[in-house]
Amino acid sequence: MLSIIKLRLLRLKEDAMVFVVMTAMALGFTAIFGASFDSYKPTILIVDQDGSYYSQYLINELRQNKGYNFKDADLKTASEEVEEGSAVALVIRQGFQESIENGSDISLGMMKIKDDTVTLTIQELASSIVLKMAGSIRTADVTADFIKEAKPGTDIQAVKTAAYENVMDSWKYKTPMSVTSEAANTGARSDNNNLMHSMIGFTVFFSMYTMVFSIGTILSDKQYKTWERMLVSPLSRTSILGGTMVVSYLTGAVQMGVLLLCGKYLLKIDWGNSMSGILLVSAAFVFSVTSLGLMLSGFIKTQGQLGTLTPIVLTSTSMLGGCMWPLEIVTNKALLFLAELTPQKWAIQGIKSIASGGMGFRAAILPSAVLLVMGIIYFTIGVKFLNKNNA
Amino acid sequence: MLKVENLYKNFGNVKAVEGISFEVKKGQVFGLLGPNGAGKSTTISIISTLLKPSGGDVLFEGNSVLDNPASIRRKLGVVPQDIALYPTLTGYDNLSFWGSIYGLRGSQLKTRIEDVSDIIGLNGRIKDKVEKYSGGMKRRLNIGAALLHKPELLIMDEPTVGIDTQSRSHILDTVLELNRQGITIIYTSHYMDEVEYLCNELCIMDEGKIIASGTRQELVELVREKTRINIKLNKMDEDVLTVLRGIEGVVDAKKDEDSIALFGSNADVLLADIISRVSEKGWLIETIDVKKPNLKAVFLHLTGKALRD
Repeated sequence: MLSIIKLRLLRLKEDAMVFVVMTAMALGFTAIFGASFDSYKPTILIVDQDGSYYSQYLINELRQNKGYNFKDADLKTASEEVEEGSAVALVIRQGFQESIENGSDISLGMMKIKDDTVTLTIQELASSIVLKMAGSIRTADVTADFIKEAKPGTDIQAVKTAAYENVMDSWKYKTPMSVTSEAANTGARSDNNNLMHSMIGFTVFFSMYTMVFSIGTILSDKQYKTWERMLVSPLSRTSILGGTMVVSYLTGAVQMGVLLLCGKYLLKIDWGNSMSGILLVSAAFVFSVTSLGLMLSGFIKTQGQLGTLTPIVLTSTSMLGGCMWPLEIVTNKALLFLAELTPQKWAIQGIKSIASGGMGFRAAILPSAVLLVMGIIYFTIGVKFLNKNNA
Repeated sequence: MLKVENLYKNFGNVKAVEGISFEVKKGQVFGLLGPNGAGKSTTISIISTLLKPSGGDVLFEGNSVLDNPASIRRKLGVVPQDIALYPTLTGYDNLSFWGSIYGLRGSQLKTRIEDVSDIIGLNGRIKDKVEKYSGGMKRRLNIGAALLHKPELLIMDEPTVGIDTQSRSHILDTVLELNRQGITIIYTSHYMDEVEYLCNELCIMDEGKIIASGTRQELVELVREKTRINIKLNKMDEDVLTVLRGIEGVVDAKKDEDSIALFGSNADVLLADIISRVSEKGWLIETIDVKKPNLKAVFLHLTGKALRD
C-alpha cells in the first residue's frame, strides 16, 4: 500500500492546479455571494390604514429590525409592487387601535404572492410586537384602575398613557423572562448570516471536485494500462484501492482544512465553539465523497467520462443539498426528501448547526454517522463495480 | 515449469480460447504464434492471473495458479502488449514504482534500477519523462519494468509492436540475453521471423485453438515438400521443363515469367541433382535461388491463410 501512496503523491503534482483552483473558487465565490446576500434586504411595504398612535408604534418597532427595508406605501402601490414580486406588504387595517385597546381580535393583513421565509418572519415579528403592545395596554389599564381607586379625580387617560409608555419602554432594557437550554450553555452566538452559509456551501461544493478527481486517478491507471499491470503483481486490490483512497482522503481533508482556516482568517468567520465537531463532520464528509468518487469511477471507463459526469452529479446534488442556498427556503417536500439523500445536506447541517446555530459537539454526531453510512455504501458499490470490470 | 491444461475462455458467446494445452520447460523461450484475435493475449492473461478461465487449469511449478494466484505473481514478470507506464513520470520513477510493488526498497531497488536501465539501454535517458521517449524507448522501458524483481518466468506479449527496426533488434537481443541469464520466457507475436529467431519451441494458435506445436524444425517438417528452387537458364523451353521434372525428388515444376519454379522436399540434395543434370545437358545457369519452408509457409499450409504482418 505504501508504494501506491507514494505513487499517488508523486502524481498529485499533476493535479495540484485542480486543488489550487478549487480552493480559490470556493473562497472567491464565498466572498462574492456572501457579500451580495448580506447587502440584500427584502423590501416590506407598510400600508397604515389606521393611522393611529398604536399603528405608528407598531411601525416604529418593526423598523428597529435592520434585516428588512421597510417603506410606507398606499394600498394601490403596495398591491402593484407585490404583484410584480418586488416586495411583500403588511397592511395595518382601520380599527387596529380600537381592537388592541378593547382586547378584541386584531387583524393584520399580509399581501404576498407565496409563503416564504420573508413573509413568515414578518408575520411572526408583527404578531410578537402586537402581543407585546396588547399586554402593555392591559398592564396600563390595571395600573390606571388601581390609581383611580386609590386617588379619585386623577386624569385616568394621562395615567394610562404614561403607564403604557413606561411598560413599553421597559421592554427595551429588561429581559422579561429567561430561557435556559443546552444550546445556550455552549455559549455560542446565534447569528445566522449569509456569508457563513456561502462559506460552508462553497467549501463543500468545490472540495468535492478535488476529491472526486483525485480518486479518479484509478481511471488514468486504466487508461495507461498500468491498472492491469498492478493486478498481476503481488499487490492486492485492497492495497491498490486503499492506497488511492488514503491519498484522496488526505487531499480532501487538507483542502477542507485550508478552506476552514481561510474562512476564519481571511473572511473573519467564527466557526463556533466546537471545532472538534466541525472536524468530525468534515472527516466523515471527506470519506463519503471519496467513496462517492470511487463509485463513479466504477461506473465509467475514462477520465474524460469522469470529467463529464462529475459536474452533473456534483452540481445537481449540491443544489439539492443546500450548497447554493439555505434549505430553509425550500418548501417542496420532494426536494427536501431528495436533499436528505445527499452528503452535502448532512455536511452543511452538521457544520452550520455548530458554527451558526450555537450548538455543541453533539450536533455533529448524527450528520457524521449518516455521512459514514453513505460513504460505506458508496465504497461497497464502487469496489464491487471496479472488481466486476476486471473479472 | 508451467503447464496449461485444457484451457477454455468464453466472453459471452465468443469462444476466445478453446481447450488448449501446452507445457513450458524451465530455460525455454516458448513462442505463441498467431494472428490478431487468435487467443494469445487471452491465454497470457489467464496465465498471469488477470483473467479467470471458463475451464481448465494452469499449473506453475505444480501449483494451480487459479487456486493460489500468489504462487506465480511474485515469480512472474509480465510485459503487456500495451505500454503500461506513467507517461508524466520519469523512467526512473516508473522503474522505482514497479520495483517497489515487488518489495524492493532502498539501495537494493536503486541497484536494480541501474542494472535494468543498463539491460534495456536507457541509462542516459532514465531521468527523462516517459512522454518524451520514442516509441522504441517506451517499449524497452515497458520490458524493464517487468525485470526489476528478477522474475523466473517472463511473459512478453507482442513486445515489438509498432517500433523501428533498430529498437526491435535491441529488444530481440535483450530477450535472448535474458534467456541466457536463466529466465524462462513465453513470447507471443504475430511476427514469424521473431518467433523463428527466438523460440526453441512454439505453439501456433488460430481462432482460439492450437493448430500445431513443437520445435521450429518439427513444424517446418510439416511442409517439407514446400522447398522451392527458382532457376533461370540460357534455355527456357518445354524440353528443359520436362528434364527438370524428371529429377528424383522434384514434386512439381512450373514456368514463371522468366524462371522455372521447382518444388521438392530436401533442398540440399535437390540443388546438387539439378546443377548436375543441367551441366550434363550443357545448359548455363544464369540465376538460382533456394527458398526453404518457414513458419509463414507452415501457417499458410495449416490454415489456408496468411499471417498479417
